This record gives sequence, C-alpha cells and structure tokens, in this order.
Amino acid sequence: MKQNNLAVKLVNISKIYQLHHEKPTLIENIFRKNSREKFVALNNVNLEIEKGDKVGIIGPNGSGKTTLLKIISGIATPNQGKVQTWGKLVSLIDLSAGFHPELTGIENVYQNAMLLGMNRMETKNKLREIADFADIGGFFDAPMYTYSDGMKLRLGFSVAIAAEPDVLILDEGVAVGDENFQKKSSDKIEEFFKQRKTVIVVSHWLAYVGKNCQRVIWMEDSKIKMIGGADRVIRMYQRR
Amino acid sequence: MIRLSIDQQKWWELLMMMTEKEIKARYKMAVFGFLWIFLNPLLQMLVLGFIFQFFIPIKTANYFEFLFPGLLAWNFFSYTVTKNTPMYINERALIQKAKFPRETIVLSVVLSNLFHFLMALVVFVLWEALVVHELHWWRWWLLPVIMMWLAFLTTGFSLLFSSLNVKWRDVNFGVQAIMPLWFYATPVVYSLDLLPEWLSRWLYLNPMTAIMEMLRWTTLGLSINWISVGWSLLVTLVIFAIGVYVFKKESPFFDDWV
Repeated sequence: MKQNNLAVKLVNISKIYQLHHEKPTLIENIFRKNSREKFVALNNVNLEIEKGDKVGIIGPNGSGKTTLLKIISGIATPNQGKVQTWGKLVSLIDLSAGFHPELTGIENVYQNAMLLGMNRMETKNKLREIADFADIGGFFDAPMYTYSDGMKLRLGFSVAIAAEPDVLILDEGVAVGDENFQKKSSDKIEEFFKQRKTVIVVSHWLAYVGKNCQRVIWMEDSKIKMIGGADRVIRMYQRR
Repeated sequence: MIRLSIDQQKWWELLMMMTEKEIKARYKMAVFGFLWIFLNPLLQMLVLGFIFQFFIPIKTANYFEFLFPGLLAWNFFSYTVTKNTPMYINERALIQKAKFPRETIVLSVVLSNLFHFLMALVVFVLWEALVVHELHWWRWWLLPVIMMWLAFLTTGFSLLFSSLNVKWRDVNFGVQAIMPLWFYATPVVYSLDLLPEWLSRWLYLNPMTAIMEMLRWTTLGLSINWISVGWSLLVTLVIFAIGVYVFKKESPFFDDWV
C-alpha cells in the first residue's frame, strides 16, 4: 500500500458554517425561512501529510487554519470530502479544556487521558510519569478549583504528551507555565520535532515555523494558497 | 463472556470512567455524601406521602409502600432527561477538545442515575423482605427487567432531546416546562382506577404509565392492563430508534453549534 507512509489525507474538503447574527425573533424565524447566511470556512481543500513531516500552517486570521485543524483532528466533520488519518492524534491547543473543577487532579487525568484515546490501564501506568512531569506536588490529589491557571496548563500538557501521539498538533503558545516549566515543555516539543513524529504547527510567528518546519501551508480565503518548502513559502508570504 | 474488540473495550472503559465521574462529582463536598442517594427519595416520599394520602383513597394498606417504587422510577426518568437535554452545551469544552464517542456523555448520565435508582430500590426490596415479609418472589424478579426497559426509554428521550437542543435551544425550555406536567400525567401519586375511564384511556398513551403499573403489579400485586404494556413497549422501541437516528445524524456536527 502506497498510503502507508501518510499520516493525514484530505480529499476535496469543504466546510460550511451557518452564521449566527443577532438572534431573530420567533416570528421572523417562521416567516423568513432559510435566510441564514453561510460562511465557507474551507473550500475544496486537498492535502497530504506524510509520516514524520513537520508542517507549519500560516495565514491571516479567518483564513481557515483552525477549521483545518478541527477537521484533521476529527472534532468537526466536513460537509463534503473525505478525511483519513493514520495513528494517534493529540492536540496541544486548549490544554486545560475539559477539566472538571470539582474533581481531583488524578480523576481529571483519567478523564482527559481516556478522552485522548488511552485506556484505563495505560493511564494508571503513566500516572507517576504525568505527576512527575507536571510537578504540581501535593496538589495532584486536590480538587481542580484549587489550582492556578499555570498548574492546570502543566497538568494538561503532561497528560497530552503521555498519550504518546503519532501526530501532534500545536500552536506557538505551547511553552506553558512558569520559566522552569516553559523550558521543560519546549524541550519536550523539541524532542517530538527530532523524533519521527508528525507535527502540525499553527503559528503567526514565522521565525518559529521557519526554524522547526520543513513544509509550510499558506492558508488564505478558505483555501490553500501555497504549499511547499518552508523558506520559499514564508518568503512569498512576507512579500504579499 | 462476550469477547469485546479493542475498540469496544475502550468505549466501555471510557463510558465507565465518565459514569464514575458523574457519580463522584455529584457528592463532592457534601457532608452526607452517598447517603443522599437514600435521603433524597425518602424525604420526597415522606412529604408527598403525607400530603397525598388525604386526597387519594388508594386501596392499599400502606400508601408509602405504594408511592416509593413509582417515585424512584419517576425521579430516575425526569432527573436523567432534564439533566441530559442541555448536556452537549454544558460539556462543550469536552466536545471541542477531542474526538471521542459523543454518546458516552449522555449514556454516563443515564448509567449514574441508574446506579442511584438501583441503590434505593435495593433498600426498598430489603425493607419489604425483612420488615414487611411480603415478597412474591416470582414477580419481584421482574424488577431488573422493568429497570432495563425504563433505562431504554430514558436513553431514547435523552439522545433525542440532547441532540436537538444543540441546534434548537428551545428544546431545553420545553423539557423544563413539560416535566412537571408529565409528572401529573403519570400515575405516580395516584392509580389509574381512581380516574374516570375516558381519562385513564388517554393516560395509557404515556409510555411511563405502563412502567408504573408494572412496578405496582410486581411489588404490590395490583391489577394491570397488558394492552397498555404492549403499547408502552412499542413507544419505547420507537423513541429509542428515533433518538439513536437523530443522534447519529446530528452528532458529527455538534462542534459547529456549541
């Protein structure tokens, strides 16, 4: 099979959202049927990402970068086209999302890890490792509402990397927490860049993309405007 | 044992974890903790029982005995459906975080409430067996079947309402408005033979009616209309099928709307 070295394959992907303006009244709703505006977030996008590729996605706000990531990670479903992914996909965006404030750190680790696709046994075996990496000390078995924002991010990051993703999705804000933890987390990310893992980065920070990625996708107006070697695409992007 | 595939096993573990979370999160910081499982229906029963025994001439030795199992079943149904209807909106953080089987959110609420229902029912059965000494064992065996049946009906409504509520938030208001009315349209505090026939015939359209009657047929040996049982079974299957169908159709697009 030729596709065995692919991590992500998108064929003819289109995603259309319905725009929500000021909520129409019930009467308006009844008399003006189908007046909802559509917004095309992705327009017929084709993309192949090979295993081990480090890919950067750049482009202005509203060009479809986030939607593209949502489609790749399977959180959103395209209205048209076919998505195929190989391997475990984990996103490092919105790390502290999905934590329950009443539950303890450990209980939240179980929930988060299993939502990311680990099973109970794997999570149990990794618990020590996660606690060590997050380094939140005695807070690990305290309820989440006692955590600072930084601690939540650290725990979220530790769970996500413990899931051993094959495909890692991140944005430029990945270095989280205090100075010490920022170093630790960016070292960990460096490690992913060096390994044969697929990494997809969304960023406005062109220097970061240029340094870490070989291929760059330039999104503009819901389409891929350009795709190719990092230096060339970034140069064209800056000259636009 | 049925052998599960790895995916099915993962799905089941995820569901169990979410159910556990539901149960744990509810009683965090509550001094009485899990005691509330019994305290809640008990207090409710005492108040309702005290008031309604003056209004409703039930021909049974003990009105509380008549009331309790029905009340547990009704509470399970109404709590679960009410909690589940806005669930995909409330849990938007989870939906936006990762791709996972969306049905586990709704099913975990059903299972955690089923656990509460079961605990309270076990206490009731023990009470009847040890204190009242009135168990017709061959009928009491039906209790798990009735519970399963009710769980299917509740799941059907939960999937249907929660899926629709993602796009149309009116559904939640509708459910909140209808639940108290539904309570009175279900023979929880009264029995159908107290009503004029033209009215009780209408109440048989309510699938919860037959559940109540089956519970009382099982626990107290009261009479039952088997045609209504058949009808309720049909309604349960239809609601469940519609719930699953709507959920399957809508769930890939939950992220677009939350």
